[in-house]
Amino acid sequence: MSFCLELHLQQSEDYEILISKAGFKEAKKVIENHSPRILYVKPGAKVLGARIIGIPPIPIGIDESQSRITLPYTKPCHGTAVVDLPVEKEEIDKVKAIAVNPRKK
Amino acid sequence: MKKALILLGCPESPSQTPLALYTAHKLTKIGFEVTVASTPSASKLLEVSDSEGFYVNKKIDLELCLEDLEEKEYDLLVGFVHKDAAVSYFVTFYHILNTRSIAIVFEKDSDLLEKFLNDLKENTDATLISARAYHNPTPLRVKIDKAFKVLED
Repeated sequence: MSFCLELHLQQSEDYEILISKAGFKEAKKVIENHSPRILYVKPGAKVLGARIIGIPPIPIGIDESQSRITLPYTKPCHGTAVVDLPVEKEEIDKVKAIAVNPRKK
Repeated sequence: MKKALILLGCPESPSQTPLALYTAHKLTKIGFEVTVASTPSASKLLEVSDSEGFYVNKKIDLELCLEDLEEKEYDLLVGFVHKDAAVSYFVTFYHILNTRSIAIVFEKDSDLLEKFLNDLKENTDATLISARAYHNPTPLRVKIDKAFKVLED
């Protein structure tokens, strides 16, 4: 069964919110400063089963040693949050496959 | 028939709902089949304002719309932008749809308005309609009329 971010955030407690109710650019800086590796995706790219909303290039933070992903999560009335959560290795591989300009920090 | 998608943001600005109804009716008269994508709360405001569905008869939940959206699914994207999150949503819809797009940008704070406009200019080729507005929809209505003249031609 594929990962569903919405469901995971509703039913689990193993994620961390690094910032909430932020502007997109502020959230982007948080991700870029937090994760050991940053991959960039296009607006609308699907990561963990959800469309990623934002201004390109959109950073997705990757921590392969901890198997964690850090990503922006935007809602119309609540702005952008940054969510850090554990994932299976295959989800990290899926992000690598859709990254538009992967680069190491 | 050509298809237009109207993208609504957070409904906290009082100008958004009347302008959405106005824009939907205007586009219908021009000949577009209009769908409005919005949050549940923005949809409720439309339902009460237009209880007979005279101005808007096709509505879709914003998240559902985004999930299944495909390139060129609509011939025109019209987005209401009055928050940072609305800029992100508009840019995202713009990049997925890759179609003719118009952003209606409004904010009472002139610095924020300028920031939203700069972000949209840097990340899209959309036509931008803007005004310092919150309660009063008239400045935007006048500019919408002017911009939509091009669609009638």
